[in-house]
Amino acid sequence: MLDSDTLIQHYLEGTLSDAEAEQLHDLLKAQPEIGERLLQQFDMDAMLHATKPLVASNIIRPALLPKRRFTFATVTSVAAMAACIALLGAWVLNEVLQLRPEAEETTASVAVLTRGVNLEWESAAITPGTPLSPGWLKLKSGIAQIEFYQGARVLIEGPAELQLVSSGEATCTRGKLSAQVPPQAKGFRINTPKGTIVDLGTEFGLDVSAANEEVHVFKGEVELHQPALTMKSLKEGQAMAIAGNTAMLAANASSFASLNEIDARSAMSQRFQFEKWLASSAKVNADPGLRLRFDFQDDEGSRSLRNHAVNGSQIADGSIVGASWTTGRWPGKRALEFRNVSDRVRLNIPGETKSLTLAVWVRVNGLDRSFNSLFMSERWGDRKVHWQITRDGRVRLGVAGGAGASHADHDTPVLFTPERFGRWTHLAVVFDPVTKEVRHYANGELLTRSALKSTEPLKIGIAELGNWNDRPTGGVAIRHLSGAMDEFALWDRALSDAEISTLAK
Amino acid sequence: MNTHETQAAQVFLAHHDFVRGVALKYAPWPGLMEDIAQQVFLEFMAKESQWDLSTDARPLLATMTRHIAMRQWRERTRQQPEVVQKLADHIRLLAEEREAPPRYEEEISVLRNCLQKLPEKSRELVELYYYNDIGTPQIADQINMKADTVCRALSRVREKLRECIERSSTQGGPAHA
Repeated sequence: MLDSDTLIQHYLEGTLSDAEAEQLHDLLKAQPEIGERLLQQFDMDAMLHATKPLVASNIIRPALLPKRRFTFATVTSVAAMAACIALLGAWVLNEVLQLRPEAEETTASVAVLTRGVNLEWESAAITPGTPLSPGWLKLKSGIAQIEFYQGARVLIEGPAELQLVSSGEATCTRGKLSAQVPPQAKGFRINTPKGTIVDLGTEFGLDVSAANEEVHVFKGEVELHQPALTMKSLKEGQAMAIAGNTAMLAANASSFASLNEIDARSAMSQRFQFEKWLASSAKVNADPGLRLRFDFQDDEGSRSLRNHAVNGSQIADGSIVGASWTTGRWPGKRALEFRNVSDRVRLNIPGETKSLTLAVWVRVNGLDRSFNSLFMSERWGDRKVHWQITRDGRVRLGVAGGAGASHADHDTPVLFTPERFGRWTHLAVVFDPVTKEVRHYANGELLTRSALKSTEPLKIGIAELGNWNDRPTGGVAIRHLSGAMDEFALWDRALSDAEISTLAK
Repeated sequence: MNTHETQAAQVFLAHHDFVRGVALKYAPWPGLMEDIAQQVFLEFMAKESQWDLSTDARPLLATMTRHIAMRQWRERTRQQPEVVQKLADHIRLLAEEREAPPRYEEEISVLRNCLQKLPEKSRELVELYYYNDIGTPQIADQINMKADTVCRALSRVREKLRECIERSSTQGGPAHA
């Protein structure tokens, strides 16, 4: 027989067996005070779950790791041998083949925006996943979580102004922020108009308003440096105004946003966006000019993509080859991952079209090939269409010439730099014979327009998403995409700037 | 989002803990509180144009939360064996019969202070179980204790935190566990 505490714990943990459930039920009926105790434990359990800080999920205590088969010494020996082999291999390659390393790509970014809730920026919108370079962030409203490359996590609550200085330093001139600084980011600095806070590996909050500046220490210790004053040290539970009355106050963690709150809020915000997208799908599908739309919400395990366009009966469902299912733009949204040289979706767009709009939500993981396919007609020639990304990051719509005429490539400036890899991007391209131009869009914004050489109708025919097939056997060029797609649509009309912008929201 | 939608989202977020408290009262089933809060958010936002955001949103949110909580509680418990369903029914009745209103909203902020005052061993246990998602049998295995002992230790920690919150609310000052 288990005692009531153990039974209650099993109930909270969801591990109650049938026999234990019966035993607990009997106890509750016989001793009403256990019922109140269970409810109090239940409430506290729920609150404790809600206080879970995000960072804690990353902490794995060595003592609780599964027992290892290899000792540290074994691992280091193997690693040392592997390093020797790699070095020898590199030396042989360099000496024998006279290879010279290419100039390495660099980035100016010092932090990344990892989460956001109801973000409104004073300048151009910054979305989660965006690497951040030194400069000002001006947040009108919402909560943004920024992770500095040295490891500090900072939450800013709008309205706020924060200048990123380096991967370990920022300046806050307005608003509230809370910072969580792990030991490896010790020394992280936040400057304010009246002083500088140097973190010694801790959690603290900072409130910078026009009238006052206050620093609150929730955990660990911070140093407060002010011009012409001696350095002050603030410990856990203490707070202080940075200027004026410098008496010690009690730290108030509840007046600052927590990492756990932003987690819960961003999950809700994502769910809301997903639901909005689902609700708007019927309207998009009913557009008379829409001939094909894959929403990638087919049953997991399905090997075909259903065409949801109401006016798309001439275009059959797409057939998935190789590509595997993955998570799309939001949790619960599905997408197809293209990773392997064989991965593709085969489809057939019969007939000719005078106008064309293509749109896709794509996550590019890398540009491994000279040409990385988004959507390409099989083979090439006679007004076929190739929509792809070049190795240097330009999006290209290639249109083959008809009757011996030469082809035309319509390129964007470089769009896909390493900073954009791994993030969802909405791409659209419009072939418009009325204005005699091709227009490219990214995330709803017009990127470029270029003049058409020929307005002859396009003939897509058999085509592939995420790959290209140029011949039936042998020597097929490799142009598969390394990334994922979670929505694709094709119209036989030219969509306007406003329509594209709506699609990308 | 348009302005009204943004305002509606802000109103909801200002009452997020209130919604969680109501959810706990009407659906005392482990792990259900966040799902209910999320569903209330979605349904609140789906009809946001109907709400007058200048008035107190609590009565509306309380009604929505109660309906959604009961719906989700039914869906979740009916998948359980009959004996567990009976237990769940009993616990829900006990929760509904409680006279005290939900106090989640006031208590969650006090709880954070109380957590900081816990003795080191208790705080470690909270971190292992709640923050690192390690189950009681695994904790017991790693620290060479019986699983029942870990269950009782967790129970005592929760009790201490409850006492700390109550002491704090009667004193009106900083909490000491």
